[in-house]
Amino acid sequence: MALINAETGKTYKVKEINTRDEEMNSFLFRLGCYAGEPITLISKKKKSCIVAIKDGRYNLDELLSEAIQVC
Amino acid sequence: MRIAFAGNPNSGKTTMYNALTGRSEKVGNWGGVTVGSKEFKIKDEYTGGRDVSAVDLPGAYSMSPFTPEEGITSEYVRTTNPDVIVNIVDATNLSRSLFFTTQLLELGIPVVVALNKSDINEKEGTSIDVDKLSAKLGCNVFETTSTEGKGLSDVISKAISLSGSSQKPPFVQADIDLKDKAAVDAEDRKRYVFVNEIVAAVESRRTLSSETRGTDKLDAVLTNPISGILLFAAVMWFVFWTSQTWLGPMVADLIVGWIEQFQEWTAGLLENSPPILSALLADGIVGGVGAVVGFLPLVMVMYFLIALLEDCGYMARVSAVMDPIFKRVGLSGKSLIPVVIGTGCGIPAIMACRTIRDERERRATSMLATFIPCGAKIPVIALFAGAFFSGAGWVSTLSYFFGLLLIFLGALLIKYITGYRYRKSFFIIELPKWKVPSQKFAFNSMLERAKEYIIKAATIILICNTAVQVMQSFDWHFNVVEEGAESSSILATIASPFAILLIPLGFGVWQLAAAAITGFIAKENVVGTLAVVYGLTAFIDVEELELTGGANNVAMAMGLTSVTALAYLFFNLYTPPCFAAIGAMNSEMKSRAWLWGAIGLQLGTGYSVAFLIYQFGTLFTEGHLGRAFIPGLIAVGCMAVAVIVIGRKTRAHFDDMYELHRRDGKENAAA
Repeated sequence: MALINAETGKTYKVKEINTRDEEMNSFLFRLGCYAGEPITLISKKKKSCIVAIKDGRYNLDELLSEAIQVC
Repeated sequence: MRIAFAGNPNSGKTTMYNALTGRSEKVGNWGGVTVGSKEFKIKDEYTGGRDVSAVDLPGAYSMSPFTPEEGITSEYVRTTNPDVIVNIVDATNLSRSLFFTTQLLELGIPVVVALNKSDINEKEGTSIDVDKLSAKLGCNVFETTSTEGKGLSDVISKAISLSGSSQKPPFVQADIDLKDKAAVDAEDRKRYVFVNEIVAAVESRRTLSSETRGTDKLDAVLTNPISGILLFAAVMWFVFWTSQTWLGPMVADLIVGWIEQFQEWTAGLLENSPPILSALLADGIVGGVGAVVGFLPLVMVMYFLIALLEDCGYMARVSAVMDPIFKRVGLSGKSLIPVVIGTGCGIPAIMACRTIRDERERRATSMLATFIPCGAKIPVIALFAGAFFSGAGWVSTLSYFFGLLLIFLGALLIKYITGYRYRKSFFIIELPKWKVPSQKFAFNSMLERAKEYIIKAATIILICNTAVQVMQSFDWHFNVVEEGAESSSILATIASPFAILLIPLGFGVWQLAAAAITGFIAKENVVGTLAVVYGLTAFIDVEELELTGGANNVAMAMGLTSVTALAYLFFNLYTPPCFAAIGAMNSEMKSRAWLWGAIGLQLGTGYSVAFLIYQFGTLFTEGHLGRAFIPGLIAVGCMAVAVIVIGRKTRAHFDDMYELHRRDGKENAAA
């Protein structure tokens, strides 16, 4: 499912990332956000969410959190 | 010998650089504060007297750049061959940082790793086995705390001893075709697997980062679209109110007293000298510069508070909360950071736009960021608030929030002109850990800016004031201008043609035109020039204003109503900032068309805003339109037509581009 629909406070595994933007994909990769890696949804709002990737916290907008598929 | 500082954003490179060199480059608790490289000699106490310089670089997550400022780092490291690289690693985020570290180790330049923010790890119960990490990476690793200067001498002495040597990289990218995306991706994955193994072996954590912390609740409130924006407005209001209505003017009153005494003292010394000399020195230089310096406390309080905000970690949260709104007008959440920095000075604000990835968003932000009044505009605001609105706090608050409104409207206009189509604009920002803002740091940052302000007053402002005073005292035949014949002075004859253009705005007199023009050199000049041309000083002497009650001598001398005063103030606030800022825009935009567009937009905005305030303000207060409404309307109308024409042109071009693609597509399909 898309990250935006995930449950707050739970840790998921990234299944697939498809932003249709190569540079964005590889940027996320460098932060440690790529298929097989854990990602935790810390909190979410209508248009954005906060996630924990590795040991950092990030705020993502709606578009990005829709492009990240987790399981 | 040169030591380059490289590492992830917000790992503390500039803090370390400042500690080592004694400089005071801008630091802040968010990623992307440093947007250009800086070089300075390291203090002798660290180098033992050898000539070693440190190079501070923007933060980067890897050697392949994502935003323009990241590109500066990878290019510097690749092309200028520093003698040693100090890789600053954020010890609280080892798992992400080592990716870049392993890349740096491959370059063949000796690397020393500084495991920074060790104090935070200690507090959080995270421990890193330094010896093991050093063995696994095959390079020297030291624990450091830049904010306290801990561990820095170890890092530097090791770095110096390593110059000329090399190390064996722990991970070497296989010999692959770098154009083959799949192969590069596979190698990068292997690199991350390698990094993950190291981290698992050397790091032990008491609490996992994925666990919810107390500050997550705070973040949820601050990034909530309703509470977050209300809180941001409240915080900014508090900053403006404290610096410009409450604490700032309180301190300023003291200083103004001293300046007056100094002015009287110089006038006393000059008693027996020719009146022209005494006028030049006592009124022109001391009075004009003094009028500017008198506002320094307001500026200092403001800088102190903004430094606290920048240091605690709030900026990233505000960016996040503002993103949806900024996106709607065609900007990005990251546009917020230049806007906040712009309350201090427009030049670093324009440079801060480099962290914005999209070119159009970046150019639009650098064009609009200066609508937020900068520190140099504070004296202008305070002068008008004091003289015409009996020091009312709403004038300054209105100036800032109106500036913000103009940014939104300007962004919409740019969106219209450039024919912005719906395009995916992703937003991601790291939320750094909160920290208690350091008062010492804020205090130093305030002193640093105060020093710059005084230097500026003693150089540019002083020269301009002297020039204005001379040009006002003499006519074109270098005869002293007689009293009553002021309009024959050099200054008056130069400024008069411009004044005609300002008649529809309600302030078409040469004195005000001259002040506005000198304002383009530096905005403080508006105050200095007004002081000189009207022979006024001590603009913000609140007590005196109270004595004369409302209709005070400053307002009387300038002969403006409250409406025209507000129009004049806003004209000065929202026209192009100063030549230095225009220069910064030029180098960031890298496009003549955008630069002229920016200047045109700012001139047009300042003119239109002043026109509307004067005409409708007069209609509202006096029941009739102001002077020269029709010519003004024609001028504003011409600007509107220009916008439409330019917009049509660019968008037609834009459609052509799209059509070309489509045609290409068809041809390809046919082929």
